[in-house]
Amino acid sequence: MSYLELSNVKKSFGTTIAVDDFNLSIAQGEFVSFLGPSGCGKTTTLRMVAGFELPTSGQISLQDKNLTYLPPNKRNVGMVFQSYALFPNMTVADNIGYGLKVTGKPKKETNARIKEMLGLIHMEEQHNKFPSQLSGGQQQRVALARALAIRPQVLLLDEPLSALDAKIRLELRLEIRRIQQQLGITTIYVTHDQEEALSLSDRIVVMSKGKMEQVGTPAQIYTSPETEFVANFVGQINLLPVKVVSPTQGKVKVGEQILQAGKFGHLNGNPIRLAVRPEELNHGFIEGANNLSGKVEAISYLGSIVRIRLDVEGNPISMDVFNERKLTIPSVGDDYQVTFPVEACWII
Amino acid sequence: MKTKRINFWAFFWVVLAFLYFFLPMYGTLDFSLRMKKGVLSLLAYQKVLADPQFLASFRYSAIMGVITVIFSILLFVPTVYWIHLKMRQLRPLVEIITILPFIIPVIVYVFGLIRTFSGPPFQLTLTPFKTDILMVAGYIVLAMPYMFRAIDVGMQTIDVRTLTEAAQSLGANWAQILFNVIFPNLRTAILSGALISFALVIGELILGDFLARPALGPYMVEVGRDMAYQPAALAIMSYALTWICLGLITLFSRSNNNQRQILGR
Repeated sequence: MSYLELSNVKKSFGTTIAVDDFNLSIAQGEFVSFLGPSGCGKTTTLRMVAGFELPTSGQISLQDKNLTYLPPNKRNVGMVFQSYALFPNMTVADNIGYGLKVTGKPKKETNARIKEMLGLIHMEEQHNKFPSQLSGGQQQRVALARALAIRPQVLLLDEPLSALDAKIRLELRLEIRRIQQQLGITTIYVTHDQEEALSLSDRIVVMSKGKMEQVGTPAQIYTSPETEFVANFVGQINLLPVKVVSPTQGKVKVGEQILQAGKFGHLNGNPIRLAVRPEELNHGFIEGANNLSGKVEAISYLGSIVRIRLDVEGNPISMDVFNERKLTIPSVGDDYQVTFPVEACWII
Repeated sequence: MKTKRINFWAFFWVVLAFLYFFLPMYGTLDFSLRMKKGVLSLLAYQKVLADPQFLASFRYSAIMGVITVIFSILLFVPTVYWIHLKMRQLRPLVEIITILPFIIPVIVYVFGLIRTFSGPPFQLTLTPFKTDILMVAGYIVLAMPYMFRAIDVGMQTIDVRTLTEAAQSLGANWAQILFNVIFPNLRTAILSGALISFALVIGELILGDFLARPALGPYMVEVGRDMAYQPAALAIMSYALTWICLGLITLFSRSNNNQRQILGR
């Protein structure tokens, strides 16, 4: 059953349409990420849920209550900002308790909640410090506790980890998910980082130019992207221009090399593109699978994986292999044969 | 070698500026101490402080100063806050308006003020109380460049929009945001603007003179006309007050450093 519902939501700034025809149902306790590049409308959508922007048209409802024109301070929606937005004049404890204080909660209840939240973020010892005395990661933890202290019906996070360095980002990502699952709070998370979205979310909404490109679980988004944009934006992908050989059987060719597409609709139009992830490719030749031969153009070490870039009939194609000790790495200019299963590729 | 030359010239200009500024002050101080023939004494200061008219005019100007500061804060903090939050495109226009007291001579402004507000329907010069209202309004305009700039600079050091949104999402209304979040984080800026405005009101002459109110400025001119040493003592006391205000601004700026908002650290 839908808990938070966005129906036909549209937002324009003058003649620019920031969000168009946005429809989404979110279940209670679900963790949904809005993923997309800068300017795709993900933050604008989040801000409309928070009440900081009014939709040009459409409706936002929470548990069947229309929120669309309710001011932000009446929505009971907690928000965490990229820049932390802690009140510099207040201590950690005062920041966490601010929402309870302004809504007139009794002092005893406020103090108990502050203590509970400090325990949740493991910062009991820091309760008397000012924000300027904390690290970025600690500040964001306090911001999270402050947003959760009011017991919001929905938690909104606007790129909360973007300002942090890589190691702390990873730590805090796990902590956000742990806290979200522990409290079972419905969460919307805005990010442009695909790894964050894939690792945290129950569902991902991929957005581009104000529109929803695809909604699905991380696995669906990664393994079955419905559009070229999603395929390109989430993970690495090879897009090979191919010509149709047999429209009914899904047979296509690159130069003179025949390939079989795993998924294909109506194969109309030439040329079309065959999509395959770099990690689906293996060195060698397997009868009955798709096989391609080309020349090694470049080799890149990316830590745990090695990316081998090939030229196949004038088209670049990448293959990712685990950087194991037994790995034999070809040299640039070598002839190289790669193979991939039929079900690992599809027509876009 | 080059560094040494730069240091020499820097030193030279500092000394020159110091002499330019402090020599006249030293001369005034020295003169104010020579009321008793042949010895240095604080007699001129004693006479000034013993004059009931001085105390009355100082008290009057101080009260006017405090009222001006209170109303300036109540007027400018919400205005600058709203400009930063919702109407950033209006900021250049408001900035130009706030420097008008620097461009328009005070005498022109005072005549305009008297002409507009002394007649019907306002008739603000009919009673001393109404004239005081006009005085405070006039002082607020004269203090506007200092007050606006101090608060504007303060607003720029905090992320007004995000702090406001954070407070809103926690359930705060506009008054709670202003008094719990915005005012406390502008404490240093407001204090700077307030102390400069206060010092300005204490020394202001033309408004008090033309509206015929017992302010300190007209009193100083009157004393200067009739006496020799007391005006010098008054000038030194006035300087001292300004320096105390500046000292307090520096003190509060330093003590507020540990509460600055740090973004993206």
